[in-house]
This record gives sequence, structure tokens and C-alpha cells, in this order.
Amino acid sequence: MPEYDLCFSSASTIETGSYKLVELTPDLAKLIEDGINNDLAINLTIKGNPQEDAVLCTKDKTYSMRSVNLSNTVVVATAVPDIDACNNDFSNDAVVIRDQVKEIIELAPAVPKLHKLMSLIRERVYDEGQEDDDDDPSIVRFTLDTARREIQASEVELERGLKDRRILVLNNELRPIAVSYLIHLLELILAVLVAASEQHASASVESITSQLEEDHEVPRVVSTQVMGWFGDIVDGKWKMDVDSVVKEIGLGILRNHRHDPIEKGLLMTKWKSLVGDTFESSVSLPLLAGNYIEVETLGSTNTTLKYFPASSLPIDPAGRFAELFAMRSKWKGEEISPFLADIAVNNKERDKLLLKYCRAVTDSHGIRYTARAQYNG
Amino acid sequence: MIIPITLNTPSSSSSTHSNSTPKLPSGLAKISNDEVVLIELQGFLEVEVNTPEERNGKFVGKLKIDDTGKPSLLIGHHLLEGKIAPLAKPLAIFHRTGGSSHRITGSGPSSSAEKDTSDDTPRKRRRTTRDGNGMVKKKIIFSKRPMPISSLPGKK
Repeated sequence: MPEYDLCFSSASTIETGSYKLVELTPDLAKLIEDGINNDLAINLTIKGNPQEDAVLCTKDKTYSMRSVNLSNTVVVATAVPDIDACNNDFSNDAVVIRDQVKEIIELAPAVPKLHKLMSLIRERVYDEGQEDDDDDPSIVRFTLDTARREIQASEVELERGLKDRRILVLNNELRPIAVSYLIHLLELILAVLVAASEQHASASVESITSQLEEDHEVPRVVSTQVMGWFGDIVDGKWKMDVDSVVKEIGLGILRNHRHDPIEKGLLMTKWKSLVGDTFESSVSLPLLAGNYIEVETLGSTNTTLKYFPASSLPIDPAGRFAELFAMRSKWKGEEISPFLADIAVNNKERDKLLLKYCRAVTDSHGIRYTARAQYNG
Repeated sequence: MIIPITLNTPSSSSSTHSNSTPKLPSGLAKISNDEVVLIELQGFLEVEVNTPEERNGKFVGKLKIDDTGKPSLLIGHHLLEGKIAPLAKPLAIFHRTGGSSHRITGSGPSSSAEKDTSDDTPRKRRRTTRDGNGMVKKKIIFSKRPMPISSLPGKK
């Protein structure tokens, strides 16, 4: 019968608190198991400032961490460390107590905390011809490295976040691009594409960037990144994502109509003229879903639209529904869905939200959703 | 504020490498992990000592695994009987390396100050790295009350 001497380690006072037990989610457990089986190192990082809740990041995912106290104690025991083996009289089969743990850390998948990013770099918007202030020492620069350290998101999520938020990396500094300038750039790119008779599915990056630089003084570093946001660059060839370019240009028009609605026909005409003949066929209102609402105007049969972006609404479901119903008291299912897309993981989750926060009313127009009385007291 | 954690550094799994965490005896290694064994106790191992350092390296008790795989722990005149139980969820064990003492007094630039996992008591910050002792799926649990025994089968 195997028998082992259980001892305190010779450094047990120093080692107290040096062990943490972390409960793994199935996907993390699989990641680690795969790493062990294939003999690969697995790098994880814990991120967070003292005033924030820490998160654990893998290469592409973020997990929230929560400490849970245990009523029992878990003794972490290992074999005798090499440094102690020679200078102590531990027996051969001794097992040493390294630490006694009274808490366990629970992990749960979390959305990357990217919202902090914009507020940190809002001052540093990149607009046309603003590349000359590089020498000004008074400017506080927020670099990509700082973002990697400060932003609680995994590497992949941070990269995606920069792309989604249209943030340029210039001289390692993060700079959100001015929306008006972005629209202008896209229009230029479309014009250059047409002028050079380049195929938008496989255009030469070199030819576009050099033309933009020569004719319009757009730095290559900017044009290349913008092209990366709106398509894929492989081997010097750019495959343009037509829909996302057309959408961004449409958004550019719509943005000016936050307060005074624009007539739908007028919007479509303007939009088509901006994207040009080649891409006219891609223009369609559903591309802008989640960014506008239809406004009913008295005495007019024309549909008018108003800029109302889902991205500016609160992240928490209760707050979002409150704003949605403040905007309009009744919503059709297909109208409200685009405004829930970014807070619900899938359609099932979205329907759960609708059930929880809305009351479905059937009338002559079909099913409409109205606010469920919320007693938030 | 980043604490990098490296789990399963490839060298640690090669037998030639002398790691700071050597392998457990085979009887314990086969429970779940060959470097760490988790023993759950109802209570805390407290030792009456004048200075905390006094307990360092001291003998606690005899841990036995019988032929049927049933563990028992004999501490003084008390015998605990337990079992090997699977964990509800696998656990990763993170071990602080680098900074040897957890009572570091403001050394190093503040940018290297690191946030501990979720408790932010100041004494637990400012660590360089953590490494993982891999994954554990089973533990030894002693959930019953200790039985007093009069004759000690072992020494001490």
C-alpha cells in the first residue's frame, strides 16, 4: 500500500497565496488539453487595472473572472521541489503542501471590453491632412501597445474592434478616422477603381494607393488600412467588400439626418449617385438596417427616414428597450430585430429578449411589439 | 496591467528537464496530474507555532492510498478516510513565479504593478508571471469526521 509523508514545504510561509485554482469552461479545458497532447505552450493573460474586474484572455476569447469562496480548504500538494530535496530531510516519498486554498476562480465567457477604447482616443481623430503634428510633444498618444495592455480584450478581438470602429494605427498610435473623411476616401477609392478600370474583386493595392497619394495626397499607410477594413488584401490584390463600402457611403448620407428626416426616394437617389454606376445595383435599404427608423409624416404618403443607429443605444437590454420604446411605442418584429442584433448572440436569444421586455399585440397590421410595464422602482 | 500565464511549457513535459516542480510519486501522479495533487479538507491545517516560519518543512501526516484506491490521511491520532472524486469542472492551477515574496513594498515602476485575479488587496499585486501546473480533473476529498485511533500503526 503506497504511503506518503505529507509535510509543509520548507517555504510554506512565502508560498501562501501563490496558488490559484481556476475553474475551466469546456472550451478552455479543450484548448489546454490539446496543448498538452500536442506539447505546445498555451499562453493566457490576465488583464485589468486595479479598479476593474480582471479578465482572462486567450488568443481570441475573453472570460470574466469571479472569485468564489469555498467552505472547505483545498490543499495544493506537489513533490518536494528540487531546491529543497538536497538540503532538507524529506523522505523520498514525501509530498509537500505548497498552499492551502480557500477560494476558486470561476470563468465565464464575456464580451471584450472595447467600449473604453473610443473614449481614450476620441481627442485624436484623424482627419484630412493631419499627419504633420508628429513632433508635438504635448500630445498624449495612445499606442497599440498600450491598448494591448489596457483594453480587456484578446488579441483577435482587439484587432476586430479596431477594424469595426474604423481606427487607424499610425506610427503605432491609435487614431479613429473622421467619418466624413472616411466617406470621402471611399468615394475616391471608387473613383480611382473606375478610372483605372480595375476589377473590384481583384484590384492592385499598389496602383490604388499610389494614385491616391499622387492625386489626392492620401498617405499610403491610411489608404492601405482603409482598404483592409473594406475587403481582403491578399498578395497585393484587394478584393473589395462591395456591400460594406456601399453601406458606409449610405451611412454617410444618413448621418446628416439625425434630426431632420430624409425622404426615402431622395436618399436612394443621392446614395446611387455617390457610389456610381458600377455599384448602383448594390444599393439597397436593408444594408442600413439598424441605423434608421421610418418616420410617419402627417399629410404625406412618402416614407421618410431618420438616422437612429443601434450602436449609440445602451448595451444592457433593459436600457435599450426603454430607448427603443421612447422613440416609438409600437414596433413590428422585422423593424425591431436589427436594433437587437448586437446585444443578442443569435435569433433565439433575440426572441427571448422580445418575450421578456415586450408585449406582443395583434391588430389589423399584424403583430406589433409594445413595451411591457417595467417596475424598476 | 497584464499577468502572462504560460501553461504547459513544452520543456516541462520532457523527462530530461529538471523543473522546479518535479513529478509526484506514481501512486499520486495517476490520480489526475503528475505534478500536483489537490486534497480537499473540511477545515484548515493550523499549526500552533511561535513564528509562522516554524512550520516550514514540518511533518503533517501520512497519506495512504490503499489497493482499492481509497485514500486515508493520518494526522497524529486522527485518521481521515476519504475518496478520490472527479471535479465538476476541470481546474487549472496557476502558480505565482517571479516575485518571491508577496509582501513587496512598492518596488518597481507602477506600470509593472499587476492586478491579481479578482482580489485586489495590495499585498497580492506586483507579480511578474504566473505559470500553470496544467489541468486537474480529480481530487482527493476527506469529507468525514476524523476517527480517533489509539495505536499508531506508523511512526511519529
